[in-house]
This record gives sequence, C-alpha cells and structure tokens, in this order.
Amino acid sequence: MITPALVGYFEPWWVQVIKGVVIFAVGLQLVPVVLIVERKLLGRFQGRYGPNRVGPYGAFQPLADILKLLTKEQFRPTTSVGFLFAVAPLVSILTAVAAFAIIPFGDTQDIFGTKVGLYGIDVSIGPLYLFAFGAIAFYGIMLGGWSSGSKYSFLGAMRGAAQLISYEVSQGLALVGVIISAQTLSLTGIVHAQAGMWYVVPQFFGFLVFLVAGFAETNRAPFDLTEADAELVGGYNTEFGGGRFASYYFAEYLNVLVVSGIVTTVFLGGWLLPFGIDPPGWVDPIVVLFKMSLVTFLFIWIRATLPRLRYDQLMSFGWKVLLPLATLNTLVTAILVVATH
Amino acid sequence: MSTVLFFLAASGVISGAVGVVVLRNPFYSVLALVAHLVSLAVLFLLLRAEFVAAVQVVVYAGAVMVLYVFVVAYVGGESDSVGERLRGAGGTGSSGSSLRLGGAILAGALLVELLIALLGTGLEAIGGYGAPYSPGPQSFGTPAYIGKLLLTRFLLAFEMASFLLLIAAVGGVVLARRRGGLGEEDERDLLTPLDLMRPRETGTMAEGVGGRTP
Repeated sequence: MITPALVGYFEPWWVQVIKGVVIFAVGLQLVPVVLIVERKLLGRFQGRYGPNRVGPYGAFQPLADILKLLTKEQFRPTTSVGFLFAVAPLVSILTAVAAFAIIPFGDTQDIFGTKVGLYGIDVSIGPLYLFAFGAIAFYGIMLGGWSSGSKYSFLGAMRGAAQLISYEVSQGLALVGVIISAQTLSLTGIVHAQAGMWYVVPQFFGFLVFLVAGFAETNRAPFDLTEADAELVGGYNTEFGGGRFASYYFAEYLNVLVVSGIVTTVFLGGWLLPFGIDPPGWVDPIVVLFKMSLVTFLFIWIRATLPRLRYDQLMSFGWKVLLPLATLNTLVTAILVVATH
Repeated sequence: MSTVLFFLAASGVISGAVGVVVLRNPFYSVLALVAHLVSLAVLFLLLRAEFVAAVQVVVYAGAVMVLYVFVVAYVGGESDSVGERLRGAGGTGSSGSSLRLGGAILAGALLVELLIALLGTGLEAIGGYGAPYSPGPQSFGTPAYIGKLLLTRFLLAFEMASFLLLIAAVGGVVLARRRGGLGEEDERDLLTPLDLMRPRETGTMAEGVGGRTP
C-alpha cells in the first residue's frame, strides 16, 4: 500500500508556499459566501426575503458588513484586561485558519510535471491535529469572556468551557470507528479507504455523533448557549466591537467550514464520486466544495429549525446519550474489524 | 530553521515555567502553564514525535488546563497570590514555614531525580540528531508504532495507568454523591406512566415550578 501521508514532505518548498497562499485565499473567500447564503436561507426559512438591498439580490451584503465592522471604533470596557482582550480574537481566528489547512481538496495531482497534493498539509496524525487546534480555540473564547470584565461575557465563556469539554470526548470517539476501519490516521488515506463505500453507511452512528458534536464544538444552534442572545446579550463576544468582533465572527464561520470539510472527508468520501465514476483530477476540489456546501446547508437548516437547548439538557445529552453511543460504536466497530480480518 | 524554532520554543517553555511560579495572579499563572505546555508540544514536534505533541496539546492544554482555568476563573480572580497566602499562614502559626520547608525538600528531590535522568541518558543524545526520518506507517513516533509498544512492551504500565484513572473517576463520582451533589431530587421522583411517555427534560411548566407530574 502506498502511504499518501508522506507525499507532502517531498514537495519543494515553493509548492508549499503557493499551496498555503491559495488555500488561505480560497478559505477567506468562502466565509463571506457562507455569510450571505446563511442570511438569505434564514430569511427564506422564516418566510421573509433576507438581505436584498446591497448589490444584485443583496449579494454584496457581506462586503458592506465587513466594511462597517472594520471602520468602527475599537473600544473596550474599563474593567477589561487590555492585552488579553486584544489577543483573544487572534487566538480564535488563528486556530480556525490552522485547522482549515488539513482538509484535503483532492488527490495528489501532476501539475506541469510537479507532484502537488491538493491540501495544505497531510499530517500523519490527521484528526488529532484538528482536536489539538480545537483545544487551543477554546482559549480564544475563554480569554475573550474573562478579559472583558463583564458578567455576561464571563457566563458565556464558562458555558463554552463546559460544553467544549463535554462534546470533545464524543467527537473524538466518533472518529475512532472510522480510524479503526481505515487503519490510518491520514485524512487522504481515509478518503482512499472509502473507495468501496463511503463511511457514512457503515459508520452511520459515528457520523451522527460527530455531526451533533460538531454543532456543539462550533457553538452553533441549537447548542449556541455561549452566545444565547436572549439571556447573555451576546455571550463571550458581548464587549467586542469592530474588527475584533469581526475576527470572532469570521472564526465561527470558518469553523463551520472546517467541520463541514472534515465530515466530507471522513464520512462522505472526500473527492470520490459514487458509482465508480472517476473524473479528471481538476474536478476533485469542485466535488469536495459541493459536498462541503451540502453539510453547511445542513448547519443552516438546523439553525433555522431547532430551538436552543436548555443548559442541563445540553449537558445530559452530551454525557448520557452521545458519549455511550460513541463508545458503543467504537466497540462494535473494533469487534467487527477484528472478526472479519 | 529547526535551530531557530528550537530556541523560540525553548525560551517559551522556560519563560512559561518561570511565569507559573512568579506571576501573582493565579489566572495568569494558569495561562503561563498553558503557554509552557504548548511550547513543549513544539519541542516534541522538533523531535519528530507528532503524536506525542498532539496528545500533549489535546490532553494537557485542552482538557486538564481547561478545568484549571475553569476553577481559577470562578474562585480565583484578583485575590492575593499563593505566596502571600503562605506568608499569611506563616504569620499566624508555624504551618507556613513548615510548608515552605516541605516545598524546598520536594523541589530538591525533583531536581536530583531529573539530574539523574538527564545525566544518565539525555547527555549522550545531545550530540546526535535524534531519530532518523524514515517514511512508513510503522516508523518511530507514529501512532501505529506507539500503539504497538503500548500493547506489547508497556502493557502492564498502560493497564495500571488506565485502572488508576478509572479508580480516580469512580472516586470523584462517589465523593460528589456523598455530598449530595448529584441530583438526588431527581431520584426521589415517583414515576408515573406519563413520565415514561415523555423524556425527562422536556421543559414543561410543571418542571419549572418544581413539580414533576403534569
């Protein structure tokens, strides 16, 4: 068996730099697209139009939003802790961008005689890289809430802390089943292992658990208790304005894209097409982006449909439903893999 | 490149460790510890131990320190530092000075132990270039390699550590239960057929005012 995980090391440094710039640019451009699509879709779900004033069909609304946020005054409360207040949004956005780097958009391609893998990096530890940056991302929220010196922000950050600890476990365990089946941690290796059947079918419970935990990890509805606007004004980002708020906002949507990308890669077959169709290599990123947009649509759909959970419901659901389900899934998968080999 | 990274990470490790001890606000101490652990993960990466680096960040920075931050942010705040509390205790009785003496003894024992480990094994490796980079899923430092070692050579230590953690977890639950911390009110509830029909946390008005049955 070839080890796709190691291809990345053999690329020349300038390929790595170009890849980094391209993926960064594409990732940055995707966020405003998700923003406008979400607002339009939310409008449709709720029986209204959504933004439709700026540009054709309101398509330039994110541009207007970003300009507005960036030209705002940078203020902070007198009770806040200065340097942490400035660092916290940076941590959030940095971890989101770093996590984006491991999503594979395609197989290794031969472009003008140079072998290029269509991904930022293919780390040999795969999902653990994601969880590591997810762990650091927590400090973005926590420091933001704590350094604001405001009770609402603090409560939001505390909820975020408890929520992240609870759902990280289930999220990790949900992936173990896939890793046992694929027998590799490399994300491109996992995609290659899905050539026969996408893991969404044999690992259906893992898929469900990962998706639900993904909603919780990205603090999206119905798990958005960190920023429950009815109780906490805005949660951990209440005191942030202007560019700093934009950073948090950006990080949240980039995290949604990252989770969509991971779900696509791990459960939906990455760049593979069903029924054995084998398109030329340049189609791969389009396939991945299409699947990612489907998962992102699901995110928005759920947000428009489900009401927010109560805090104790959130906790008991995470520990009493998701965790046993994920553990059982792992156990059954392990037994089946050992029995069939 | 790797030399620059090494010195950046090493200075991060040392300043983080110093910060834990020196900083007066406990919250900043915890943050310094987080910085220390993350820098340590970078050092592991330089040693081609990717798995250990990731686990370091996930487990220590991501789980253990999250709890520390949680607790310190709730009960710590801007209060006096640990050192001042020790000094205060020393003023009222002899417990402060004995604590400080005990701390010094423990620190000395740790120093001796680390020196034995360092002088015994580590110094030989300083002149070398570490494990060679060899591609392949079974090579040094990869998850597969570590997993194999854990299940063969270090099986006993691995199982004992997991039993220890299990005992600690069960002990935590038992202690919390003895204090009445884990929802005893829920268990005193009598089940009616209607309760079986609907899930426990539906959020009805009856639950909101304390009653269970509708």
